[in-house]
Amino acid sequence: MPRREDIQRIMILGSGPIKIGQAAEFDFSGSQACRALRADGFEVILVNSNPATIQNDPEMADRIYIEPLLPDVVRRILEIEKPDALLAGMGGQTALNLASALAHDGSLARLGVELIGSNLATIDEAEDRDLFKQVCEEVDLPVADAHACSSIEEVLLAAERIGQFPLLIRPAFTLGGLGGGMAWNRGELVEIASQGILHSQIGQVLIEESILGWQEHEYEVMRDAADNCIIVCTMENIDPMGIHTGESVVVAPQQTLSDRDHQMLRDASLRLIRRLDIKGGCNVQFAFNQQTGEFVVIEVNPRVSRSSALASKATGYPIARMAALIAVGYTLDELPNPITGEGTTAAFEPTLDYCVVKIPRWPFDKFRTADRTLGTSMKSTGEVMAIGRCFEEAFLKAWASLEYGKPHPRPLTLADTSEGEGMGERAETPLPDETLEHWLRVATDRRMGALYEAFRRGWSIERVREITSITRWFLHKFQRMAATDNEVRSAGWASQDGEGGIEPSEISAAQMRRWKSAGMSDAHICDALADYPVHGLNLLPEGRGEDAVMRCRHSHSIHPVYRMVDSCAAEFAAITPYYYSTYEPHGLPGVDSVPQKRRIAADGDPARRLVVLGSGPIRIGQGIEFDYGCVHAVQAIREVGHEAIIINNNPETVSTDFDTSDRLYFDPLTLESVAEVLLREDADGILLQFGGQTAINLALPLDARMAHLNTLGLEMSLEGTSPDAVDEASDRERFEAFSKRVGLRMPNGLTGSTPEEVRAAAHEIGFPVLIRPSYVLGGRGMEILTNDDQLDAYMREAYIAPDKPLLCDEYLGHAIELDVDAVSDGEQVLIGAIMEHLEEAGIHSGDSTCFIPPQNVSEEVLAQVEEWTTKIGIGLKIIGCFNIQFAICDEKLYVLEVNPRGSRTFPFVAKSTGIPLARIAARVAIGSRLSDLEIPERTTGLVCVKAPVFPFIKLRGLDPAPGPEMKSTGEVMGSDPDPARAYLKARLATELPVPTTGGVYITVKDEDKEAIADVAGRLIELGFNLHATPGTAYALRAHGLTVEIAYRIAERQHPDALDLMRQGKINLVLNTPSKSGGAVLDGNMMRRLAVELNIPFVTTMSGAKMEVEAIAAAIDGIPEPHLLQVKYLD
Amino acid sequence: MKAAHGFSPGSGQRGVSNPYSGVDAADLLLDSADTELTSATGRGVLLLADGSRHEGILFGAPIIGEGELVFTTGMSGFQESLTDPSFAGQVLTFTWPLLGNYGVAPGISESSAVWPRGVVCREWIDHPDHRNCIGSVHDFLLAHNVPGITAVDTRAVTRRVREHGVILCMFGPLEQEEEMRNRLEGMTSPDLEDLVDDVSRDDAVLLNEGAKGNGGIPMPRIAALDCGIKHNILRELCKRFEVLWTPPDLAFDTLLDEYQIDALFCSNGPGDPAHAGKAFASRETLAAGLETKIPVMGICLGHQLLGLATGLETYKLRYGHRGANQPVVDLVTGKVSITSQNHGFAVNPRDTEPLAPHPIWQSQGAPEALSDAPTEVRFVNANDRTVEGLDVIGRPAFSVQYHPEAAPGPHDAAPLFDRFSEIVAKEMQDELPLSKRGVA
Repeated sequence: MPRREDIQRIMILGSGPIKIGQAAEFDFSGSQACRALRADGFEVILVNSNPATIQNDPEMADRIYIEPLLPDVVRRILEIEKPDALLAGMGGQTALNLASALAHDGSLARLGVELIGSNLATIDEAEDRDLFKQVCEEVDLPVADAHACSSIEEVLLAAERIGQFPLLIRPAFTLGGLGGGMAWNRGELVEIASQGILHSQIGQVLIEESILGWQEHEYEVMRDAADNCIIVCTMENIDPMGIHTGESVVVAPQQTLSDRDHQMLRDASLRLIRRLDIKGGCNVQFAFNQQTGEFVVIEVNPRVSRSSALASKATGYPIARMAALIAVGYTLDELPNPITGEGTTAAFEPTLDYCVVKIPRWPFDKFRTADRTLGTSMKSTGEVMAIGRCFEEAFLKAWASLEYGKPHPRPLTLADTSEGEGMGERAETPLPDETLEHWLRVATDRRMGALYEAFRRGWSIERVREITSITRWFLHKFQRMAATDNEVRSAGWASQDGEGGIEPSEISAAQMRRWKSAGMSDAHICDALADYPVHGLNLLPEGRGEDAVMRCRHSHSIHPVYRMVDSCAAEFAAITPYYYSTYEPHGLPGVDSVPQKRRIAADGDPARRLVVLGSGPIRIGQGIEFDYGCVHAVQAIREVGHEAIIINNNPETVSTDFDTSDRLYFDPLTLESVAEVLLREDADGILLQFGGQTAINLALPLDARMAHLNTLGLEMSLEGTSPDAVDEASDRERFEAFSKRVGLRMPNGLTGSTPEEVRAAAHEIGFPVLIRPSYVLGGRGMEILTNDDQLDAYMREAYIAPDKPLLCDEYLGHAIELDVDAVSDGEQVLIGAIMEHLEEAGIHSGDSTCFIPPQNVSEEVLAQVEEWTTKIGIGLKIIGCFNIQFAICDEKLYVLEVNPRGSRTFPFVAKSTGIPLARIAARVAIGSRLSDLEIPERTTGLVCVKAPVFPFIKLRGLDPAPGPEMKSTGEVMGSDPDPARAYLKARLATELPVPTTGGVYITVKDEDKEAIADVAGRLIELGFNLHATPGTAYALRAHGLTVEIAYRIAERQHPDALDLMRQGKINLVLNTPSKSGGAVLDGNMMRRLAVELNIPFVTTMSGAKMEVEAIAAAIDGIPEPHLLQVKYLD
Repeated sequence: MKAAHGFSPGSGQRGVSNPYSGVDAADLLLDSADTELTSATGRGVLLLADGSRHEGILFGAPIIGEGELVFTTGMSGFQESLTDPSFAGQVLTFTWPLLGNYGVAPGISESSAVWPRGVVCREWIDHPDHRNCIGSVHDFLLAHNVPGITAVDTRAVTRRVREHGVILCMFGPLEQEEEMRNRLEGMTSPDLEDLVDDVSRDDAVLLNEGAKGNGGIPMPRIAALDCGIKHNILRELCKRFEVLWTPPDLAFDTLLDEYQIDALFCSNGPGDPAHAGKAFASRETLAAGLETKIPVMGICLGHQLLGLATGLETYKLRYGHRGANQPVVDLVTGKVSITSQNHGFAVNPRDTEPLAPHPIWQSQGAPEALSDAPTEVRFVNANDRTVEGLDVIGRPAFSVQYHPEAAPGPHDAAPLFDRFSEIVAKEMQDELPLSKRGVA
């Protein structure tokens, strides 16, 4: 069937902000769809509220709206744009739910917009749990015994009918399993099911018999309108049923099914998607009983998903691109296979000659109080993927990509029971066996490390199998890894007291090949040889560290070979420049170099090969923004004709789409793998400033290794800001000295390497102080402390060592905080934007709501900001991009910190001002002068607001209030000529309701009681009822305001705030948290409940004022959507 | 486990009182549990005729492996592949690097033996995990006296084959490298051997005798010419026919007169379809079948023989199609099936230059058409557009290059057996019986 000619304009919906359960994969799929459809001559209109995506870059779509993804807003945009069709399958559950709402309310029909890809009936049948069950039964496929319920009464009845616990609760139409879970008794059932009903878009949950211990398998399927079907990829979860697939460690292709088992599930997948009439990509999940060969269908996602992003990256098959083309009428056999090029079609099933492992990235390293237990709802923020020729290699590479601070599984000790940052003597004591068994039994982020540890301790396969129900095949692989690990360890000098043991330089070629092909990194080998010293491998003496292993390896001429991800196991010559590294046990010696000739750059010289480091998994503090930066850097490099090479390990991203760069290396972002890629490429330069802290942290180590790489013939430079300048900007003391020299003001700050020094520092500065560890991203461990008790408590938890001091800063109360993003070429500085934070200093900049242009800052101060920014850029010799945080306290400007890299606000700045900072920075970093570049004219006339999105709903145990430690997962943007309306759009885009009527609960700390009166008065004017705690209420009544008093929660009398909230009387909570006393717990419980009931709450005074403005604007109606006006360089 | 022992197609079929009981290759693992066999160990080397060498570790039987080096890209179904007689004469490289994850199971082999003359892989799994597993791939090779070499960079080997075409090879202990290299120089192509003779039956046997279909109607009888037939073809045929499992060279007249068959089937098999041995004899039987207008179906080698019988040429593909992901387009419906394939030769459509002309035709000229029935290309490979299936015009006959019986591989093409079954039913209705009709 040929391309449809009756469609010209297509609207694509994005997925909104990055949140748990919905990460960068939909930027990837949406971007592929945009590229594919535009290349085929369609006009694309894109709507997404997330400024940090590539898909809403000016060159990706014809018309772009950065607007809230709400039915009212999208309907209005449909009215304005009048597209012929709506493609919803690229924007995850968010887009699917929107399309479903607009179809059901008749808007699409009224406006003559056709839903393409999966149609309404398909969506309903796949998403509605009851209908789906019927569909499965119709085509004779087994499903678990389950009942769809819309009330707690029905839930209890269903439980009775199934007859046994545990039961699974699966809400309909939610993403990432939100509101689902497993209940072991009636109480849990009621609790989880009520959440599920609340969060389901249609108020429905499925109560399902649990099939604990069965295997979980996924099939990624494509189907076209002519009914051609293929399986793109199969995937098997290592974790048995009961854990959301997004939370599972996944292997592709499936490993433990025989051909008969596999064909049975393949047939079932095809039968199901034919019945559902899916056109495009979809994902079918099965539970499989390995003992009996029985299976049941779990669910179908009638759209591209995180799994399909993984499948795309695992096989090279561009699922989203093909799904988009199928949606406009093409059939699979008409489309060429973009991997192998001419002569092959997209109608084939990829076959792999390697093993892929995906591991989720969880935020528990930051959220230490959050409940780590994994289950049917998602908690991970992102994931990593690795490819190897054997399972062990893929697994260990994936592990190294996680960046938790342990690049390989180290023996578990008591220190791991808390945060695992060394922790002195605790690290000397091995983890007790009982704890280890518990970690194996209850799935958490620690389970994979525990598996490794159990086999290191010699536990039997059957014992671990008994505890975990994990398929034995995988357990054998873990056992194998532990055996190799033990082999290295016992060969080492440390375990033999130097007698007969070997040092890194003495590793034989045969040993090296064996260990490398078993997946061990150089760091892993040196650590094992040293018998895993308590203080980590970085403190190993010279000659025994990672560097020594590398030198020995190179002396044997052992390097990885690079294999193409070609979707056909080398059957056809592929054209896709997408590689992974591997060590073959009998590979050829020497560097496996890139065969192609260099192309000729714009200036007529041979192109330079420039490597851009990606940013790894999406995590708190390092999100999609950095991937955006990398993609822009690549575009900038290619623009001038050089070759851009990407190294990254995140399967969700646009940067790891094989046609983003000239060559893509899917490998860990470790010194070892980066160095090997540089050698293979014979690279001319590397750019570190776009991949966030991951990349910039490699600057110094890479610099140190450069001399050795030179001896292997590599002549290369670190492009942009020099490692020394990076260090000067990042090292507290050096930067202080610099500030003094050039006359910049900083808050008083001191460092301490011992608890005594820290205490002395705090006293010298005076409480309150801002305390944090050095060299961090996302403000980990940063807190504001007001007295000695808190300081003592902080230091009990913190890790302090001479090389890891604590920083103690003067806390600037009530300061306005500013963020500046800029580019410097060493002589001139281009300021992208100055952003004013809504919240006062003390809230992490990543969690703040910020405005372009600043709203409350004088021209004078702004001029000073510009002057200082220039001074810093030139003074620190920054070449490329940087970000500065300033504070204004009592009209005085302070520099808080400088980040010599791209920041997370770069895309927001680019979309607000039209200045593509990342791209300009990349051009500068590779040698252009700012004066040589054509800088687009700055967009003016709009106020642009960036607002954070938080994961509180997903993470129990986490205090839902922003603070100095970053907690948000993503952001949204709103813009309008009027600041209140711009803010309203951003607020709406965060997907929390903006109330226009109802009740407001107010409880503020003492110093805010006066200031809240204005806000409260305004709320009454707008028609709200006020409720308050006694203290706040008396203060308000003193201003003549009508307020109802509720008990404080701690008083245990009724009604308290929680009662009112549960009764639905509260639509907004204004609560500025106290730092001490009973109100701390009260506030926490109230915010927690607000999160669960989806009631918006505000925790700052400035936020409260803005919220009221937004409410006033909302009462006037939803502001008109704006077409994004910016245009980058042509 | 007993139930799955052996090969017994048609057991449990209505009307079958004495089902056939044959041997499954995995039986050897059940039967020979206490026999101690010596396995190959130590470093080995795989030598290719182009001069390249690939080191690895030996496993399986302690003998030299030699043959024509081919690769298969299927990710599952190793046991089915190893027991597929079409691999006779070849050394089989698995591109999927983890060989034998789920081990060997009873009752699912495709014949009674392991046919490749050697196995090349990246890693064989010594801890297979599956509810039906009775041994590892190593145990299986050892029991069938087939050598293997592992820890080989199979992707490098595959690329060699892709670039060079299928190539002669030899592998064994590192110490014997020089000796092997000398032997390899004098080695001749297995295509010259009568491989079909090696893998096929010598006597005819009737399977499914007395089987009844819907409504208690006796099933029609088909002769399945065994050129190296896969067990799953017999299983599929037994669902629809009384099956006379015959040697490939049984004369058509005998089939018709003595066995009173209603339809004719020609199986897959190894080697060159133009070989003058048993393959040629089969071709003659097929041609005679076409001439009498009896329903005829061919699979794989059977398809090539049908092509030859109708005067089409065959030629050797550079490196063949072996795997479970080959897309085939039906030129009539436009639909694509993902198919299981294992062939090194192909039929050349009339009026087209073959991609690589067969040496035989250069010396002897085009094959003599044994039947004047015209053919039409019905199926082509979506990738390289090679012929994947023929319809014989005006005759109830067709053939496909790929494997509708799967095993291993996807079931997309399974309806072809029904198509044939319907053809046979229709012929029997329309033209009334060649033999024992009258019951319907």
